[in-house]
Amino acid sequence: MKRSPARLVIALSVAAVLAIFILYTSIAGAGTPQISPSTLGQHHGEDVLLVGTVVGHVAGNAHAGGMRFLLKDDHGTEPARTRVLYSGSVPDLFRTGRQIVVEGTLRDGTFVAKPGSLVTKCPSKYTPAKSNT
Amino acid sequence: MAALGRAALLLSLGLVAYALVGGSFAAWKRRRRLALSAQNALLAAFATTLVAAIVLWIALWRRDLSFVYVAQHTSRSLPLGYALSAFWGGQEGSLLLWLLVLTGYSALAVWLNRRSRDLVAWTVPVLGGVGVFFAFMLCFVSSPFDTAAAPADGAGMVPSLQNPYMLAHPPMLYLGYVGLTIPFAFAMGSLLARRSDERWIVATRRWTLTAWTFLGVGQLLGAHWAYVEIGWGGYYAWDPVENAALMPWLVATAFLHSVMIQEKRGMLKVWNVTLVALAFCLSVFGTFLTRSGVISSIHSFSQSPIGGWFLGFLAIVIVFSVGLIYLRLPLLKARTKLESLISREATFLYNNLLLVALALTILWGVVYPLLTQAVNGTTRSVSKPYYDFFLHSFGLPLLLLMGIGPLVAWRRASLRALGKTFAIPAAVAVVTGGALLGAGLGSSLPGLLAYTFSAFVAASIALEFVRGRRATGSITRLVARNRRRYGGYLVHAAVVLLAIGIAGSSAYQTVRERSLQPGQAMQVDGYTLTYESLGTRQLQNAQQTSAVVDLSRGHSHIATLHPGKSWFPVEQSSSNDVSIYHDPRNLGDVYTIADGIAKNGTLDLKVLVKPLVNLVWAAGFVFVFGSLVAMWPDAVEQRRLVERYAALPV
Repeated sequence: MKRSPARLVIALSVAAVLAIFILYTSIAGAGTPQISPSTLGQHHGEDVLLVGTVVGHVAGNAHAGGMRFLLKDDHGTEPARTRVLYSGSVPDLFRTGRQIVVEGTLRDGTFVAKPGSLVTKCPSKYTPAKSNT
Repeated sequence: MAALGRAALLLSLGLVAYALVGGSFAAWKRRRRLALSAQNALLAAFATTLVAAIVLWIALWRRDLSFVYVAQHTSRSLPLGYALSAFWGGQEGSLLLWLLVLTGYSALAVWLNRRSRDLVAWTVPVLGGVGVFFAFMLCFVSSPFDTAAAPADGAGMVPSLQNPYMLAHPPMLYLGYVGLTIPFAFAMGSLLARRSDERWIVATRRWTLTAWTFLGVGQLLGAHWAYVEIGWGGYYAWDPVENAALMPWLVATAFLHSVMIQEKRGMLKVWNVTLVALAFCLSVFGTFLTRSGVISSIHSFSQSPIGGWFLGFLAIVIVFSVGLIYLRLPLLKARTKLESLISREATFLYNNLLLVALALTILWGVVYPLLTQAVNGTTRSVSKPYYDFFLHSFGLPLLLLMGIGPLVAWRRASLRALGKTFAIPAAVAVVTGGALLGAGLGSSLPGLLAYTFSAFVAASIALEFVRGRRATGSITRLVARNRRRYGGYLVHAAVVLLAIGIAGSSAYQTVRERSLQPGQAMQVDGYTLTYESLGTRQLQNAQQTSAVVDLSRGHSHIATLHPGKSWFPVEQSSSNDVSIYHDPRNLGDVYTIADGIAKNGTLDLKVLVKPLVNLVWAAGFVFVFGSLVAMWPDAVEQRRLVERYAALPV
């Protein structure tokens, strides 16, 4: 009976160690930065998640030679645009005007996306855009 | 009509506010009649909220487009079933569903416990307080009864929501999320009343179990929905919104286990009230996540003003619970202490630590983008590798514990006895592991471990049933005699099936992608898929284009698959129609996606072979069955408990 608090302490310290472990691994190890087209230039050659809105014409075939399109900042008005080259599955909701997230690397002015990493943000699962009502 | 809805909601707000204020005063001053009227106010609030809900349903049914909500979420051509399910397709309706379920649950819980006056006295105001928040939101911030000039047609429903699962998945999740309010309210009510006993646990055990079952089933339904409808070949993506439902479920799982320790041994009292508060906070946090749009998610929701309100409410709940638990710490002293690190209590404690650690690591992953944004200005996010790492490091030990825990004696177990108990399961596990390694499944270490541990757990569960049957003579009598225990084992069996299914379909899946012309074929993992032709047909509100793909193995034809795409003109978007062949040979699926269909007939076909994936869905049925067994009323046990509490000092 007398020894049991010590054991609880052991259990709790195990929990604490785990917590530190988590903090450590996630700060030091994991995590991909989310970047918008206007600040992409500072992350040349780095693996990032590019978040933005599709603008202009979508060209090419994602299953043969790659699909090309331009991306601008979601809420930005300045003409910061990034050329994106993508191949692999294209979500149903992908088209000009949609917000997307795509993972890849900026190489020589073109954002080369990882195949299959394109994700569209569902435009309204729960909330319609309030601005137009 | 809209005026009636608004009036009903205002009335609900008044009633729950009365339950909060009047109920608190009554409990404080011990005014019995006032307390009774506060209880009745909760019952009445359910009635008025039901009226509001019926008004919305009628509007949806009539496609009354003068309701802004109806116009935004339905269209004239939308089939009736989906139009009715638009109730929870939008934010305002979802909030109304929250309030409806909350008042319904509250009314029922208070009614069932009306005889235990002292127990519900402080529970009523807590329930009322939660109700006030949601009723206030519905009346003044996000009303489903706003009206405007009716447009020619509504905006329609997002195509991927037009699926039978839309009828079941959201309500199930809500029944789960909201259900966690009841144990929270009883726990807090019990603390407010300065009770130190376990009555609140007994009163809410079935509520927790019910909420937990709904939450589990809701998630599996959502997973299956994503699997058959969204068409990316998976069922869980560690998306923040999915995690939002998983976290409270994990914490509720921990709670379900640790309350047993408090019931049997009077330990872990502080821990239990903390868990129940954490589970409730996570369910509010989940609603906040899905609504506020602060974290980008594939289910993304545009920024909405209600995020701030939820954050405020969450802050109040946290301050209230932490403060109350702190003030009542002297009441929460344990009756007994942990005697040995090898005992049932200890294994429950390990299980709890692992479950909570898993939930908190997921929480960390979810809020990580916000934290990095706040700390160094760039948003960083973690993805699948992070979550997989922690799922493996916490989930696999949990799986193993599931086989060990139930067989370890209470208080103190000897290593010698343990050796005897576990000889057979351990042997089964070793043989299984060896056989799988021989069969070449060593390609994935987590997969191999998951299977080996699953074999261990399955053997120990089977052994328990065999031993029990030998003692009682029949399985039914055995289960009837201790429903909680054997219901629990069935749920454990479901988790084993789930683990096998998840490991099989993720660690051992094969994915191939190819562009095909009509007549061309591709090979995937022993299957041959031949693209034959393309066809189109008109559905009620969509145009469907689908390919005819012949599936064969060796030289024998097995099935004809029809992967395609549907175009929804009203919603101006398309949706994937995946085509799946369930292979009884390996309990897996051949999953085909028409990634692209070109005008010249070229088909970009994506094929996933997912062995054992159907066990994931089978697990759902076993899970529900096991939960039902565990929550089925048990007269013998009820009597035993009543005697126990009669003997306890109050």
